[in-house]
Amino acid sequence: MTILPTLKCLTVAAAILASTTVLAFAKDITISVWAGGTGPNDTYRLDAIEIAAQQLEREAAIRGEDLKIKVEKTPYADWESFKQALTLAAEAKKAPNIVATGHEDIGPWSQAGLIVPIEDYVDLDSWPLNGIYENLMEIASFNGVVYGIPQDAESRPMFFWKPYMKAIGYSDADLDALPQKVQDGGYTMANVLEDAKKMQDKGLVQPGYGFYPRNSNGPDYWQFYTSFGGTMEEDGKLVFDKAAMTRTYQFFADAVKDGVTKKNHIGMPGDQWWKEVATGKAGIWHGGTWHYARLVKQEGLTNFFDNVVFTLIPAGEGGKANTLTHPLVYLLTSGHEKEETEIAAQLIKIASEPRINVLHAMKSAHLGIAKAESEIDLYSSDRWAREATERLLPYANAMPNNADFGTYWNIMWKGLEASWTGAKTVDASIGDVETELKSTLGDKIVIR
Amino acid sequence: MKSSRMLGLIMIAPAAIMILLFFLMPVVLTGVFSMTNMTTATGISGGAYQIAPHSLNDLKSTMPDIAEQMSQPRYTIDETGLKAVEGLGLDAGIATELRAKHMGEVFKTRREAERMIKGLDQGPSTTQVKQISEQFNRSVVNSRFSSRQELFTALDTLGFKLTDAQKDSIAEATYTGWNWTTENFSRIVSSPDMARVLFNTLLYVALVLVLFNTTYAMLLAIWTHYMPAAPATIFRSIWLLPRITPVVIYVLMWKWLAWDTGFISVLMGKFGYPPKNYLLDNAYNAWLFVILINGFIGASMGMLVFSSALKAIPKSQFFASEVDGASRWQQIRYIILPQMRWPILFVTCYQTLSLLASFNEILLSTRGGPGKATEVWSLAAYHTALNNYAGNLEYGLGAAMALVLVVIGIVLSLFYLRIFNYGTLVSRPLIED
Repeated sequence: MTILPTLKCLTVAAAILASTTVLAFAKDITISVWAGGTGPNDTYRLDAIEIAAQQLEREAAIRGEDLKIKVEKTPYADWESFKQALTLAAEAKKAPNIVATGHEDIGPWSQAGLIVPIEDYVDLDSWPLNGIYENLMEIASFNGVVYGIPQDAESRPMFFWKPYMKAIGYSDADLDALPQKVQDGGYTMANVLEDAKKMQDKGLVQPGYGFYPRNSNGPDYWQFYTSFGGTMEEDGKLVFDKAAMTRTYQFFADAVKDGVTKKNHIGMPGDQWWKEVATGKAGIWHGGTWHYARLVKQEGLTNFFDNVVFTLIPAGEGGKANTLTHPLVYLLTSGHEKEETEIAAQLIKIASEPRINVLHAMKSAHLGIAKAESEIDLYSSDRWAREATERLLPYANAMPNNADFGTYWNIMWKGLEASWTGAKTVDASIGDVETELKSTLGDKIVIR
Repeated sequence: MKSSRMLGLIMIAPAAIMILLFFLMPVVLTGVFSMTNMTTATGISGGAYQIAPHSLNDLKSTMPDIAEQMSQPRYTIDETGLKAVEGLGLDAGIATELRAKHMGEVFKTRREAERMIKGLDQGPSTTQVKQISEQFNRSVVNSRFSSRQELFTALDTLGFKLTDAQKDSIAEATYTGWNWTTENFSRIVSSPDMARVLFNTLLYVALVLVLFNTTYAMLLAIWTHYMPAAPATIFRSIWLLPRITPVVIYVLMWKWLAWDTGFISVLMGKFGYPPKNYLLDNAYNAWLFVILINGFIGASMGMLVFSSALKAIPKSQFFASEVDGASRWQQIRYIILPQMRWPILFVTCYQTLSLLASFNEILLSTRGGPGKATEVWSLAAYHTALNNYAGNLEYGLGAAMALVLVVIGIVLSLFYLRIFNYGTLVSRPLIED
């Protein structure tokens, strides 16, 4: 009579024990990932992590582990709200596990301890990480530590509307040779203004549409500073080259004075800019390699190569032709369980495999992060990807990862906007920028 | 008596707590933030100590030898490390092989050390490699220490003998968090742009207040006063539309009006003018639109206040004046306006403060452009504290700018209360207590 309840108890205990053993093997993990500047063409920034999660689950299954990874994806179409959201979430200890953002955030975010170095979690010598372009890996590092894994690469070319270039006297052969001519320094920023003026004088484009730059602040404007001989950073210290910055400001002030660029261009609606560029309302403009995707897929410029030729940003006085690459990087944020971060790091590693990354590169017209990627049919058979990689990527610079670069950038942009719109003369702007840089950054910036 | 006071305090407690939390705390925190150099990089909740290359650069000028020693990133295979590896509970062969083949080796970087560890016969996994390499880390470069104590304990373990003065300089150079400073205010005073932003703010507040919030609102109130009731109600309702429309949609409608492809461009196109962005064409246009956008919203509030005040004027005064042959203008001048002194002062006071703090319409329409022409103080504070392309938000400076607004607001409030003669308005009734 007494043995039965004891047996019952034992059975129940055994059953509970057995169920906990099963539970111990089953692991449910939620990995959240946020991406900035991610429009409809860039969704693979997030989807790649999801694909990687499926792969990791299968690998775990083979090892006999029941791993379930739920990926929570949050895209932000713009940068402003994304950076606000992320920095504030991180301060509130609510940051996502993975974040895809511009590499320039590494400086301030690592100082604040918001991110942890990915090199603590993955073997950088292993595939596919060892196949990623060395210069991109450097851009993802700060203080000699690899914090992130490049998510994409791009560069920012100058575009010319072919029919108008022909109308002002360029032959097909001239246009074919233009990229090389720009690279060799035979076609300069001064020529850009000249040709833009010619297009307007001939009535091909309306006043203010000859040279049609980016309509908002962005990394693009540092390319012009480089074109005019400026250096952003040297030996870990920011550099403000007064003469080069003066030439840069003067270029935009001249463009406005000549009437080839609108005084009120900055702040114009983005959609309007895209439409005008895609329909040949502008003569010469600059943008990024990913613009190809939007122009062709969203704006209907299907015969892109018949209408557009693209080159490096031409050399200005004192500088050389260049372009800027602004890779996004996958970063791991701090404050999570070690196990979660380890899995997040694994997911980033898998997402960086050429076959997965190429999906993003091709859908969004970004450039590949590894040589192996350019050997995948999807990539190599695409004229844009091939030409843009060859023509631009080898000459690409990047902005420095420096915690104070954002401050420098804000001040530089304020000055550029003031001289562009005529609110101040170029000299006054430069003077004010210098004063503000001195009072704000002190000896963290070399002024020369 | 005493118990009723107590009850009063209890009754008011929830409201008092709300005021403390949502009115006073933000002001106090703004004050605290404004006295710091807080940014995203320094963090809000405090910093750590990190011997990063740039901090070593700073130290090189004052203590070159120590800086040089500290900058040596090295991974050394030594007995301490091997003991620690044995304690990790990994395959015993790993420590044995390391001791036999690699004892005394020094690696400049973690990556080089890990390459060696990966090559061991046991073939440790990536996680194990990371665990093992950590045991041989004999460098403090890039390590984060949560307190000063931890930093110096680590340095002490590595054999650095430091004086107190040296410790202070090292702690200062390696601290990643924020410091107390009054620099924000000197930056505000010395920056050439701040004066311009202040001027913009004064221009904005004065124009919107004078043209719309008071004058135009008064005109609306008087017009509707002399209208028959039904059309007056319809007219007032129409003027309430800008206020009740969600601000994003309201501003978007203005943009549709003023964009290159908008209504004005299309209309002017009929007369042969090329399309242009009228909103941002030049600073004057931008100001015109900013004032109209805000003015149309602001006018409705004044209109309501003035209309109700008008209703309170005894009708007999109007009848009497008409019998005396007064014109409309004379009625306005001698009957209406003198009795509107308090409502006008109230609207002026209230709207000045709300205009000083408001920036959403400007942010949505011109974003402070073109070329910062319409950047007002509150928008500039927002841009500084919450907008930076390179991910480094300047909370400290932004808070200092916001604090300036708080101070201006308090000073103006006190000034207005004095003009209102607040004391007489709330003076104790003579028949109670």
